[in-house]
Amino acid sequence: MTTFWYLHKSRLITGVLLLPALLSFFGLFFYPMLLTVTLSFRPEGQEVGWTLQNYIQFLTDRDSHWVILLTFILALGSTAVSILFSVPLALILREKVRGHRFFRLMVIVPLVIPGLVGALGLLLFWGPRGWFNLFLMQMVPFIQRPVAVDYTIHGLIMFYVWLYFPYTCVTTMSALESLDRGIEEAGAVAGANRWQVLRYIVLPLITPGILAGSILTFMAAFGAFSVPLVAGGNYRPLAVEIYKQISIPIPAHWSAASAIAVVMGLLQVGFLTLYMRFVRRGGGGGAAGGAQ
Amino acid sequence: MTLLRAYLRGVREGWFILGYTLLLCLTFFIAAPFLMIVLRSVGKGWFGRLWLPPQLTLDWYRWAIEVGNIPEVMKNTLIIGAIAVAISTIIGIFAGWAFGRRHLPGKEILMAVILLPRMIPPITYALGVARIFYTADLVDTHFGVALAHVSVCAPYAILVLSATFESLDERVLEAAAVCGANTIKRFFYVVLPLIMPGILASMLFSFTSSYNEFTLTLLTYGPHTVTLPVRTYLAVGDGYWEITSAMAVIMVVPSLFILATIQRRAKPEKLIGGFKGV
Repeated sequence: MTTFWYLHKSRLITGVLLLPALLSFFGLFFYPMLLTVTLSFRPEGQEVGWTLQNYIQFLTDRDSHWVILLTFILALGSTAVSILFSVPLALILREKVRGHRFFRLMVIVPLVIPGLVGALGLLLFWGPRGWFNLFLMQMVPFIQRPVAVDYTIHGLIMFYVWLYFPYTCVTTMSALESLDRGIEEAGAVAGANRWQVLRYIVLPLITPGILAGSILTFMAAFGAFSVPLVAGGNYRPLAVEIYKQISIPIPAHWSAASAIAVVMGLLQVGFLTLYMRFVRRGGGGGAAGGAQ
Repeated sequence: MTLLRAYLRGVREGWFILGYTLLLCLTFFIAAPFLMIVLRSVGKGWFGRLWLPPQLTLDWYRWAIEVGNIPEVMKNTLIIGAIAVAISTIIGIFAGWAFGRRHLPGKEILMAVILLPRMIPPITYALGVARIFYTADLVDTHFGVALAHVSVCAPYAILVLSATFESLDERVLEAAAVCGANTIKRFFYVVLPLIMPGILASMLFSFTSSYNEFTLTLLTYGPHTVTLPVRTYLAVGDGYWEITSAMAVIMVVPSLFILATIQRRAKPEKLIGGFKGV
């Protein structure tokens, strides 16, 4: 026993140190995940038996095709808008304009704010009685009725952008900050104008950072739950669809919900793998940062 | 020549003004929802095409506190947050030590596995967590809800604390050992003060995670463990926008404190392990 202890002491200590983390991982993530997967193969409301019925029912339903498509439209749309929004912003904030600390703070505000509060405020601001429509109706001629923003697809994309663009923006900013100004000066000395420096030197160099950040925005938008639940109206992405399965019918459709959850997890993992491969191969022009 | 210079300066100033306008638009875009919430929570008789509420009142806050039971809800939220932070910090210190200071084969793969809960949408495993908690009678207990939060808080604590332990200088520990400090003394008098900033950062991020967590709470809460996000969600469902706004204002105050602390103490890039409970 003592010899065993002396031989493997170091490894045992490492194991003991990792034990709580592994316990929480297996108990709170792996086992629940496994349970979800098993449940998705059970007939509805039963604890025994195996069936593919839940998957067949979900995957052959025309509505669910629309749900999957909608989830991708929302996630990809908000990721694209976030990139378009973040790059100029990061470029401006790189110059130390007056009050840049304050603007940096504004960028990370949506990260620490509970999603529901954000959704509530956005609904109030963009809604038919909010300031946006008041402005349109009073300042812009020809607009008599409120423009519908809430409970529409473009409105949802904008809400997602509000909530999740900081991931892209902060990553882009830190990529820009670690960029050596000497490279740009070298480009300028070699005769490139400002636009060419931006287009051929700065943007290619920060693309890995932008893409790494955009992955985070995509993941958050794909799994978004609270915002579409409150502000989605009739547009229900996958996460809300899962919740509806267990909250509306009595008794709850646990197996159907689990099947959708498994499909959702697979779609996300599959898409992320493709995306990472794309980033590694060509999009990033070399070594792209990981998801963190 | 002077004309050219003046023209160039003009172009430059044009760009400057454009950039500044963009920044102000961003600020407005982000701040406007809060402005609306605050106005709505103190406004009375605000109907139709009015820019500002005609009368001010604090009635909605009284309603929120009396009918919405906000003190009770706030107590629940803080208890759950404290338990979740304690558990995940302990997990984080142990695992961070192993990741940062010990030889570990397959370290990167193990780290990726531990961060997996942050990559998969929480609703997918929240279903399983809810099922387990129903059978184990953990639903509607503070400990149970906190435990569910640990699944998202712990990966983040591990990530932050591993980085902290990695940056710990070996020579300081050796110096302490040379001076005759034993393992326990070394930990409490040398290691702990050095990693304190990391621990505080991890606690801060874990707490924000737990405070904002909605998905996992919604599937494990009960009448005795209503937290602020769930309470706000229920209030939105009831449709009383004014009271909901008052609740949202109360809810956002701690977040703003945390924001101020983060801005002063930690780099915002570090938050990007994603600590938002979607």
